[in-house]
Amino acid sequence: MQTPTMSTSMATTATTTRAMAPAKAPAPRQCCNNVLLPSTGHRRRSVVAWSAKKKNPWLDPFDDGPDEEFDYQGMFSGGKQEEDPRPPEDPANPYGFLRFPQGYNPELDSLASKVRGDVRRACCVVSGGVYENVLFFPVVQMLKDRYPGVLVDVVTSARGKQVYEMCKNVRYATVYDPDDDWPEPAEYTHQLGVLKNRYYDLILSTRLAGIGHALFLFMSSARDKVGYVYPNVNSAGAGLFLTEMFKPPTTNLSDGGYNMYTEMLEWIGRPAKNVPRQPKQPLRVSISKKLRAYVEDKYSRAGVEKGKYVVIHGIASDSVANMKSRGDDDCLLPLDHWAQIAKEISSDDKGLKPLFVIPHEKHREEIEEEVGEDTNILFLTTPGQLTCLINDSAGVVATNTAAVQLANARDKPCVALFSSAEKARLFLPYVEDKGSCTVISSATGKLIDIDFEAVNMAVKDFEPAPTLALAQK
Amino acid sequence: MASPMLKSHSHVAAALHPARRADLHGRCPATVHLGRFHDHGFRCSRSKRSGSAKVQAFPSLDVVPLMVTMVEHVEMSRDYVVTKSIWHISDATLKSVCKNASALVVNLQKHFGLKGKSLELILTRACGLNTQDPFYDSDAYRSQGGDGTVHWYYDKQEDLEASAREDLLREELLEEIEQRVGGLRELEEAGREEQLTK
Repeated sequence: MQTPTMSTSMATTATTTRAMAPAKAPAPRQCCNNVLLPSTGHRRRSVVAWSAKKKNPWLDPFDDGPDEEFDYQGMFSGGKQEEDPRPPEDPANPYGFLRFPQGYNPELDSLASKVRGDVRRACCVVSGGVYENVLFFPVVQMLKDRYPGVLVDVVTSARGKQVYEMCKNVRYATVYDPDDDWPEPAEYTHQLGVLKNRYYDLILSTRLAGIGHALFLFMSSARDKVGYVYPNVNSAGAGLFLTEMFKPPTTNLSDGGYNMYTEMLEWIGRPAKNVPRQPKQPLRVSISKKLRAYVEDKYSRAGVEKGKYVVIHGIASDSVANMKSRGDDDCLLPLDHWAQIAKEISSDDKGLKPLFVIPHEKHREEIEEEVGEDTNILFLTTPGQLTCLINDSAGVVATNTAAVQLANARDKPCVALFSSAEKARLFLPYVEDKGSCTVISSATGKLIDIDFEAVNMAVKDFEPAPTLALAQK
Repeated sequence: MASPMLKSHSHVAAALHPARRADLHGRCPATVHLGRFHDHGFRCSRSKRSGSAKVQAFPSLDVVPLMVTMVEHVEMSRDYVVTKSIWHISDATLKSVCKNASALVVNLQKHFGLKGKSLELILTRACGLNTQDPFYDSDAYRSQGGDGTVHWYYDKQEDLEASAREDLLREELLEEIEQRVGGLRELEEAGREEQLTK
């Protein structure tokens, strides 16, 4: 039987069915998601057309679409789910065990919650490193907005996990590398056990799934298994285990740039009964006070003052902490180029100092050799600390690393160096709306040939923050 | 997800917590003074740790968290009331129980003229505790999987992180509220000024 949640996969077929059976009063019989029912005489035939066009025919070959006789309107009011209903806690209650933690209230779940497909606990399996996880923040925000009161957990690689120090919407972040094709059997089964134990309603995956990864998601026993699949033959069989699949245009999801999770966002924010389409939120990151204090101490020891330095990020390095995207290979600039830019920054009489952020200690000597002994260098690997650093700076000069996105998320002035205009358009599609970000892209398609005159001009626009800055961001 | 369930009822958590239980040990009648076994000479002189400390041999039963009370009504009869409760033995208690048991066996054997040194070792090993090597009581060995409670499933780190994120959310909310209040105030002041100028 087709539940309204499932029928979302058929939303795209709405126009064609309407063409086949136009004569139907829309008001009372209109089932969820604008799928108009055809008149009864043609039912059998159109059913065939329907199931042929369904996105995931593996799931239910006998799926006839929404039930005609079923009253979708009456009993189950539409709209979003309510936040988790919790009875008031009574400390004198001898049956203390009945106080379930948030999100685990089986005896209070209504039937409407089942019909609506409420999501109380969601898990996101995020593939990739820092950059991909930073760009995943809007998806988490969307989950929170679309399903009020949802608990979001994340499963990602060790590098990616560090990002969630800046995300207020996530509960647990667990380290498990979904990109590892041959995980340790013990690790694999342990992770499955952890996922099963948390009783997820929804599991989202951004790793391109073949049958193997789809099985992993399936075995987590989540109610809805949703994820990307390979756009080629490798996806064969994945549909058996997934309730909803998304096909990215290429085999590398990160090629999509800033909007790499568009298909997923569209699906999460899909309109339902009495729920309009959920608008997508821009990328936002938050910083905790503790982290801020820690980083303040760190950069003052590196010899710079708050608001009086320019962060330089994107030095060519083979370190894992360079925070580049998988969708952009040519995004790190060698040190001698950076030395030039740094000279330009420090030659200004505004009192701004360049601060080199290095992903590995081995670069310290190189920089001291290349730029000078008295250069300010900060060894910093975690994205949370980088965000704090950017937040307290006068501006950022960076190539296409996570630093660019973080600077824009905190509304800091930023000069972004890109290897080509197309890449810039992909990774910073919002740049026209933002006055604070200057994009400089290389004309030849290679980052190394970037126009330094333009960079120097842009760098001169940085203003040191006023000393009595009361309004902290 | 063991821990949120545990946290939800606080008296269970309190009973499982070794530090909070420590003060109960002194009061409990079922304590054994370990020091007197030293005279028999079967103990190595290195065992400074358990020198003459009071170790509780039996778990104190005064804190028994109630799990469930089931009442069954039977016609023409009294109600059956079943009370179920749960308690755990802490690592330290378990250890002392094993120690005392093995010591008892060894003493008996000595009494009947057998050599007991190797047997004691075997017994203690079998009980999973090593009295000779401080490493097994050190943090490096115990911290991963033994905090005194006998649960194996720990997500302390995760809970820490989760609570940090909750704090973050609260901070953000506060900031937002402050901003809004500030904005409102500005609006009010602007309105007042307008009124004054009129």
